[in-house]
Amino acid sequence: MRIGVFICQAGIAEAKAVNLEAVGLYASNLPQVEVVEVLGLLPKVDPDEVAKRITESQLDRLVIAGDSPGFFKPAFTRAMSLAGGEPDEVRLASFRQYGADTANSTERAKAIVACAVYGVPFSLAAVPAQTKMHPASLVIGGGIAGIQAALEIADAGKRVYLVERTGTIGGHMAMFDKTFPTLDCAACILTPKMVAVGQHENIELMTYSEVESITGSPGAYKATVLRNARRVIESSCVACAQCSDVCPVSVPSEFDAGIAKRKAIYIPFPQAVPNAYLVDEASCTYVQSNGTKCGACAKKCPKDCIDLDARGDVVKLDVGSVVVATGYGVLDASVIEPYGYGVHPNVITALEFERLTNASGPTGGRIVTKSQRLNKKTKAEEWVFDPEGAPPRSVAIIHCVGSRDRNYNPYCSRVCCMYSLKFAHLVREKLPDAECYEFYIDMRAYGKGYEEFFQRIKQEGTFVVRGRSASVSERDGRMLIKGEDILSDRVLEFPVDMVLLAVGLTPTERSDQIAAMLGIPRDQDGWFTEADYNADPTGTERGAVYVAGACQGPKDIPDTVAQASAAAGGILKGIVSGRGVDSLGSLSLEEIEARAKTLVAG
Amino acid sequence: MAIRANPKLIDELEPYGAEDVVKCYHCGNCSAVCPFSEAPYVFPRRPMRYLQMGLEEKLKGDLQPWLCYYCGECSDQCPREAEPGETMMSLRRWLTSRYDWTGISRLFYKSWRYEVGAVVVVAILTIIGFLAFGFSQGSIDHYDGPNAFLPSSSIHIFDWTLAIVLLALLLSNAARMWWFTMGRDKTLRVSVGTYVSRAYLLVVHFFTQKRYSQCERKSPWLVHLGLMLSYVTMLILIMFFLAEMASGPGVDWRVHVFGYIATIGLVASTIVFLRRRIRKSSAAYKHSHESDWIFLILLLAVALTGITQHILHRYGVDVAANLMYVTHLAFVVPMLLLEVPFSKWSHLAYRPLAMYFAEVRAAGLEKAEREAAPAGDLQAA
Repeated sequence: MRIGVFICQAGIAEAKAVNLEAVGLYASNLPQVEVVEVLGLLPKVDPDEVAKRITESQLDRLVIAGDSPGFFKPAFTRAMSLAGGEPDEVRLASFRQYGADTANSTERAKAIVACAVYGVPFSLAAVPAQTKMHPASLVIGGGIAGIQAALEIADAGKRVYLVERTGTIGGHMAMFDKTFPTLDCAACILTPKMVAVGQHENIELMTYSEVESITGSPGAYKATVLRNARRVIESSCVACAQCSDVCPVSVPSEFDAGIAKRKAIYIPFPQAVPNAYLVDEASCTYVQSNGTKCGACAKKCPKDCIDLDARGDVVKLDVGSVVVATGYGVLDASVIEPYGYGVHPNVITALEFERLTNASGPTGGRIVTKSQRLNKKTKAEEWVFDPEGAPPRSVAIIHCVGSRDRNYNPYCSRVCCMYSLKFAHLVREKLPDAECYEFYIDMRAYGKGYEEFFQRIKQEGTFVVRGRSASVSERDGRMLIKGEDILSDRVLEFPVDMVLLAVGLTPTERSDQIAAMLGIPRDQDGWFTEADYNADPTGTERGAVYVAGACQGPKDIPDTVAQASAAAGGILKGIVSGRGVDSLGSLSLEEIEARAKTLVAG
Repeated sequence: MAIRANPKLIDELEPYGAEDVVKCYHCGNCSAVCPFSEAPYVFPRRPMRYLQMGLEEKLKGDLQPWLCYYCGECSDQCPREAEPGETMMSLRRWLTSRYDWTGISRLFYKSWRYEVGAVVVVAILTIIGFLAFGFSQGSIDHYDGPNAFLPSSSIHIFDWTLAIVLLALLLSNAARMWWFTMGRDKTLRVSVGTYVSRAYLLVVHFFTQKRYSQCERKSPWLVHLGLMLSYVTMLILIMFFLAEMASGPGVDWRVHVFGYIATIGLVASTIVFLRRRIRKSSAAYKHSHESDWIFLILLLAVALTGITQHILHRYGVDVAANLMYVTHLAFVVPMLLLEVPFSKWSHLAYRPLAMYFAEVRAAGLEKAEREAAPAGDLQAA
């Protein structure tokens, strides 16, 4: 058989992804290939000329290779019939169909061309190695994504290990007051799910723990989990709070985004799951002094469940599949100097405002400006949120803080527009006399009900100013905000009592380590890369490893929950079929070609 | 009035240095950080918008680019790296080429080859001309006195002739500038009195560049002011005291104190600017157009050859002094003849004029608003 290979690309981005010349060179060395033509991007294929070519070289089979070869097929089929050949012998080698459309896909493209030349379907030749699927799964991260995925799998009757780094599950969602655009209470949605996780017979919850390593292959992974010393026996603790009452140490509370204090022995928040205290060894006097000082909490505990000398533990787990749901971090607003975060007391970030307006927050949900108070220990004046403080008469919300900005994060953080609108609603709802200003660049109200929410906020009397504010300074104790109102073409400068910074989302600090540990790539901004943006948004390059939630890219709660459920679906598919399948990426060009050859021989 | 858009305007601006305008997404950050951005002149975002929309005529009549002193704060803080400061700079180059009716400026900015070529040709013609003149009527052995190679009286006449030509070119271009920015705007009603009462601003802005001092960084203003004052001092000396400067052998301190200070000022400030441009020390010096380099190099060469011929003359090396004088003129003539009306140096006229016009215009707008206000109240009632 004499074969001609014609390489033509239809898409500009795809043409860049694959080195067409290299594919052409490779094809010319395949057996029986007589003609190779690299036609490049969107060539004009003249059937008469191709027919002449077929007759000249006496070709029996044509292979059209490219991202969408079907686009060119009619012209080649016509050429084949003009030359008197067999139209069925026009074979397609589609790069897009088999995933050779991202960067460094040249090797995959070569394999696809080889299969077409041999006349073997690519899906038959490229079969990754399979293992038996272990029925248990590991979920890394206990935010709403991890909770949802764990519940879906566990409800299907399969075992799940849920590993969470902090002392409680719940993640960022537990900190929120309301969700947009429905204005549901976040805790009302989240806490029942948290309790369900804590009580589920199929979920083994490991809080205050971190996954150290994952080895093995899809379907048969071995995970090593480091269980940090909680120093409080989880099963005995009744959260009576007597220990924290006597604890002399007080440090900023992570759960309250730093606007309130907690003790060294603490429970992150009253609805925490597991509902047990833990000791923060970095701030505990007893731990830091190697047991020579303090220890008051252990003496006080009525249940004798505090063991300040406890050591961490390492657990080894056998799991078949993994869900990565490690969430996001937020940009440190103090790096953007013109906004004066950390300099001016009443410039606060989105998470701080979430805690301020939350009924379970330090002010009981009263929106107040900071008041100055003398810290008795350090003898210094401090700015704190006092429940009796003065409510702001005017609030400005600055969008896109560190997002869509080449100096910080070039990408859109996707949730800020909507949560900023939600803030405006909360301010106007709790303080009807307060003026509220939104400074935005583009209003990205892109989801179901979001545009309506935006219109509602405008009707509620919030002033929406197009133009991101440029700077915040202080004058007479108020925050002087300056920005351009680009629709009325003037520069605005006026004082407000409080400025909220809609800070953008960033990948978590440890995302590079997690990516290295799991062998999944990250994109240029640091988010985990999914297997296929459109067709497989939860799978990854590594078989049986799924991503869910904001660790894959900024997203809101509904999208996170949807993706987590999708990841659980993928995992259950593996468990039901009983097979752990490696990804296509694990196959080398030689392996695929060898298998194609044996199939032809057979 | 119909508004005509030129969709290619944004591409046409590229040779002038505006390469990143398309990136702008109009967050308004630049206009808010700019210390000069005040109603009714809110920039740099607005001119950038005009550019993106291809509003050529609107831009041609826009004074805003001249109100910018390019401190670079806007470019530093731009979230899109759209370089608003550089866009303002490019617009000034483009406007210079629009004001110029000869079309020479357009050629210079389009390709540096034209500008360098013109400088070389004028320099060669100058050398040939002055050598021929010198040899025909004097002796190369004499710098001053009756048999001088280039007697100051003749040079004086040449200087004034050149000055009149330059003034004619600059004034005609300035008149075009007035027409584009003020005259043709039918909606603008400004009385002669407003022009007269604010004329002092022209002098103030020319000599103090006080707006520049409002920028956050002060050093560019000081160096810029130093360069300008040195240049003006030198210009006055040459136009009115040339005979005293060239006389010898005794030093006339009344002239020379100023001459030395001005020379030091010129050399130092041009070197500072060149260094900053080479090092790209801040946003304002990051993008150097070819015309910036040509201008600074010419100015430095003029100052250095000028002081060298003076020193040679003082030390009595008259032949060398005369040759250096011709070299000096070979830099001076192209710099004046080409840079003042057609290239970067022209901003010495356009910028103070623009600030003056801007104030007049703002006064006119304010008056119109005041007059319109009672009518508006009546309607509301």
